Amino acid sequence: MKLLALHLTNVRKFTGKRASITGIGDGLTVVSEANEFGKSTFFDAIHALFFEKYSATAKTVKSLQPYAGGAVEVAAEVETDQGVFRVEKRFLSRKGAKIIRQSDAAIVAQDDEAERWIKEVLGQDGTGPAGLLWVRQGLVGLEPDAAAEKALLIDTRRDLLSSVAGEIDAMTGGRRMDRVMRRVAQDLSEITTATGKKSGAWKTAAEDVAQLEQDLALVTEQVRDLDAALTARKQAESTLTRLDDPVAKARREAARKQAQDAMDAATAQSQKMATARGAQDLAALHAKNATRELSGFLTAVDSLTAAEAEAEAAKQAARDADAIVARRRADHDTAQSAQDASALAVATTRKQLEAARQQIDARKAKGDAARLTDLIAKATAAMAGRDAARARVTASKATSAWLADVDKAGAALQTLEATVQAQSTTLSMAYTGAVQLRLNGAAVPADHPIALDALSEIDIPGVGRMTLRAPSSGRAAKHQLATAQSRLIELLALAGAETLDQARQLASARQDAARTASGADDMLDLLAPDGIDALRQALAEAALAAKLADDAPLPALADLDSALSEALATDTNAQQAHSRAAKAHAAARDVSIRSHAAVAAADKALNAARGAVGAEDNREARRTALLLAVAQTDTALSAAKEAVAELATDARDLATAEAELTRATDAIDSTAALRAKTDRTLAELSSKIEERAGNGIEERCSELEGKLLSAQATELGLARRAAALTCLRDALSAQRNAARDTYFGPVQAELTPLLSILHRNATLSFDSKTLLPSGLTRDLDDETLDNLSGGTREQIAILTRLAFARLFAKQGRRMPIVLDDALVYSDDDRIIKMFTALTRVAQDQQILVFSCRQLAFQDLGGARPMVTVSDA
Amino acid sequence: MIRFLHSSDLHLGKPFGRYPEDVRVPLRQARAQAVNVLADLARAHHASHIVLAGDTFDQTTPAPRIVRHAMNAMREAAHVRWVLMPGNHDHANATELWRQIRLDAPENVILATEPAPISLSDDVTLLPAPPTDRHPGRDLTEWFDTAPTGDALRIGLAHGSVTDFDSSEDGGSAVIPPNRARRAGLAYLALGDWHGQLQIGPETWYSGAPEADGFKHDKTPSALLVEIAGPTAPARVTPVPTGTMRWQRSVINLTEGVTPEAMLAAVLPSVTDRARTLLDLVVTGRARAPDRVTLERAIAAAAPDFLWQHDDLSGLGLIHNTDDLDVIDAQGALRAAAESLSRDATDQSRSPEDRATAQTALSLLFSYALED
Repeated sequence: MKLLALHLTNVRKFTGKRASITGIGDGLTVVSEANEFGKSTFFDAIHALFFEKYSATAKTVKSLQPYAGGAVEVAAEVETDQGVFRVEKRFLSRKGAKIIRQSDAAIVAQDDEAERWIKEVLGQDGTGPAGLLWVRQGLVGLEPDAAAEKALLIDTRRDLLSSVAGEIDAMTGGRRMDRVMRRVAQDLSEITTATGKKSGAWKTAAEDVAQLEQDLALVTEQVRDLDAALTARKQAESTLTRLDDPVAKARREAARKQAQDAMDAATAQSQKMATARGAQDLAALHAKNATRELSGFLTAVDSLTAAEAEAEAAKQAARDADAIVARRRADHDTAQSAQDASALAVATTRKQLEAARQQIDARKAKGDAARLTDLIAKATAAMAGRDAARARVTASKATSAWLADVDKAGAALQTLEATVQAQSTTLSMAYTGAVQLRLNGAAVPADHPIALDALSEIDIPGVGRMTLRAPSSGRAAKHQLATAQSRLIELLALAGAETLDQARQLASARQDAARTASGADDMLDLLAPDGIDALRQALAEAALAAKLADDAPLPALADLDSALSEALATDTNAQQAHSRAAKAHAAARDVSIRSHAAVAAADKALNAARGAVGAEDNREARRTALLLAVAQTDTALSAAKEAVAELATDARDLATAEAELTRATDAIDSTAALRAKTDRTLAELSSKIEERAGNGIEERCSELEGKLLSAQATELGLARRAAALTCLRDALSAQRNAARDTYFGPVQAELTPLLSILHRNATLSFDSKTLLPSGLTRDLDDETLDNLSGGTREQIAILTRLAFARLFAKQGRRMPIVLDDALVYSDDDRIIKMFTALTRVAQDQQILVFSCRQLAFQDLGGARPMVTVSDA
Repeated sequence: MIRFLHSSDLHLGKPFGRYPEDVRVPLRQARAQAVNVLADLARAHHASHIVLAGDTFDQTTPAPRIVRHAMNAMREAAHVRWVLMPGNHDHANATELWRQIRLDAPENVILATEPAPISLSDDVTLLPAPPTDRHPGRDLTEWFDTAPTGDALRIGLAHGSVTDFDSSEDGGSAVIPPNRARRAGLAYLALGDWHGQLQIGPETWYSGAPEADGFKHDKTPSALLVEIAGPTAPARVTPVPTGTMRWQRSVINLTEGVTPEAMLAAVLPSVTDRARTLLDLVVTGRARAPDRVTLERAIAAAAPDFLWQHDDLSGLGLIHNTDDLDVIDAQGALRAAAESLSRDATDQSRSPEDRATAQTALSLLFSYALED
């Protein structure tokens, strides 16, 4: 179908008028008019003509009626394969529809039949593909808002692509695939999250398993604890039975009685043995004493003989030692005398040497005193000169800086004088006679220019007074000159000068005084580096030392030194000899003292030995008595030993008997303690067992084991179901994606070249549900459609329709594309590119563009139809 | 001479933790009611004794109320004398349990906790072989051969498995010789441990548990009514049903060409029995996917009838038929996905787990596709 012309009568602003657009071209046609012209009225009216029944009273139809009311008439001239027809509809009043063949003005269909004719032209079900191709003002989306209309268009697109690609439903599974995938997703969502993690029943089952495992571990531990308690109680009961066995008890008591009897017998035997051993020990002690006394007597006799010999020897040794001491004392006295003589010789010689050296030093000090006296005189004179020069420097103000300031002021004065001279009117007189002029009362010298003031009076003797009025030239210079002169005079006065020459002389004199003072300082540093007082102190010391000097001849120092060395050597030898003699004397005295001590000790031992032996006449009787006593005590000891041996033959082991008694007693005590402990253990275990058993812990354990098995089976089953559902979902998705590629291939093929006009390297992705673009990929950067700018979305919306339109065209179903200010969000550059795309498609596709942007669309090409408005 | 009921393995206090709470409660109630059921049977058949061959209790330390309730029920059945012998679950060394039983036991309860003759009447002596541990590991009945009982009729009572047949529920070692009754001159040897009823010899029987507790045994739970007319008379043993709950494990082996619904209907119990039935369905064989879906739906439809139901179709292989995939779609992405899953399910280079996952995914796809 192709639009040729549009006619509106009594539609909205065209109240009582007829508005027409004629001359609509085959390709791109642009109706570019200002706002409020009625473009949208045309658009809505055409839409109502093709998509609203003539009998409709829908809001869209009523909106076409002007305020004045009346019937709304819309007509279009269209060209189909069967020829050119006029399609007319009258809405709201005297409603009707007509299809008139232009060639013969025949009405080929009317009212409902006309509606069917329109549906057939537009598409299979009337809403047809043309519904896709209308783009309203400001439409940036691809779908209408109304759900019903949206669903209808989805079906239309599906239908369109089915026609293009073959059997799309069969290819993608269509609605059945959608339903199956929804069922899979629904079932999967009941047990997994979107990321495949456990949720719902599966998560609950997993949590149940974990909880049951935890509970079972706890209860199993309690069961083990119960088993252990039962075992322990059984052992305790067995222990009690054993402990309470009367036979064993009687056996323990009998053992203890037997041990006690044995202990008593052993104790009695032990006491007898102790008595016998006491007697034996006493006899042994007596025998030992007798033997010791005999032995002591015999030893004392032998000791007396030896002591007598030793006492004699000691006395002889003492005598020898005393003789040696006398000889050593004489040697010591001799050495002492020799040492005293040598020491005197050394002192005498050392005194002579010191006196000679003192005289030499006194004579040198005498010379030093004369030299110092001369230095002090020279230094004193230099100091006086320096102080006078410094006084002159201090008194003079004619410093170098002062002189520089004076010179600078003088030079400035000269400059100003020259300036005043140059800027002033001067009067010079060259007298020829004695008459002399007076200027302002002062004589005017000859041949000397005088600067004139502004008002000068010149008295010319004999002639009169001449008044000269001259411009006040050089006034400023003169003022500066006066200032400079005052300044110079002040400067000169600072140092007491009146002229520049005097100033220079004063400055020169000050510099000479300064140099004189500096030279005197240098002289003083040379003569008295430490000051004159230091020189004077040195002079006093030298004079004092020089008082000892005399004129007597001096002995040779070398002779005196040699004599002293010789005396020292002699003295050293004498000291060594004296030391040796003293040591020998002391040693001899020590020997003598020790020998006398030995004599005393020997005498003491001799006395002791005599005391031990006793009087000589009783010694034999005593020996005999002692021998007898030894024999008697030995006999008594033998008898006591025999008595002990006799008792030992049938003695009982007391320690063993005691150990047996202890063991038997401990056995009874420990049995009682063990029984008490076992009683306590039994009570504790029974309490614990009753508590656990009362809670049916074993039954609970068995129950938990069963529940855990069941929960594990449930979880495993759900895991397998989740795996199967995931597997199914993936398989379905993979196959549908593959089919979708085929499905959208033709659309992409049409869309890609159009898209490349606006965006290089750009592709569109399609939503499998809406069958419309869902995202744009530019330079590998993915963006969802919702995130794109309004302009880009608007452009994609139009380009997608252009692509669909081309698919229709390939089917032989050519439908116009009508755009009503569809590029409101696009900038001028994009509008140009969009028109390039529109022009490209318009080569075999009719496109009608309404726009208010006259300037922007002015140079974009396209046919311009005739628009007329006239009275109806 | 004597008529008594032989039973065992009541396992009072068994928690049935694997089952939901609403299933556990009736299971435990039925188990507790077994004492009353036996008492009623004894009264009905004029039995003088009820001999319990071990495992009356499920644990060595059951909750005291379990013991108390059982003893109270036995006290109420004053017309009969109960003989309680330990089993491996409530063995003789479970001191706390038997202390509690002694405290609560009425006069008509005889505790056979020692391997010593017990006179049931003037001319009948019971020889018990009470286990002393969970796994005694030795033949406790050996003493029967030489036990002095005079001229009295000798009845043996033991718990464990016989040597020529591992009849232990817990997989313990089998130590009771099958000819013990003959060697020991027993008129009857009452055995416990095996939860199903089983005759070992002419005079040697496992009574089985009065209430089933699993799917292992397919016979109806019952006790044994034993009648012995005289010292030389053979024991006359008659099973008497006791079970109130039904545990049914059914295997459905699907093959191509069978009707799944019919196969299922054939194994399901009557509708009136289902409320007290625990059903464990095991499906094996191979089936086309639509048949599998049909069976799954039939099972799902019947499941609410049962006290508890579980099905395992992991052993059911799929017959991969191209025509079946048409059910999903003749072409297109759905069909391609089905074919992809079908290939993965039979791809031997993939792990068994991956193949099973793909097969389950394919079954789900069939299920979803057939929801149209």
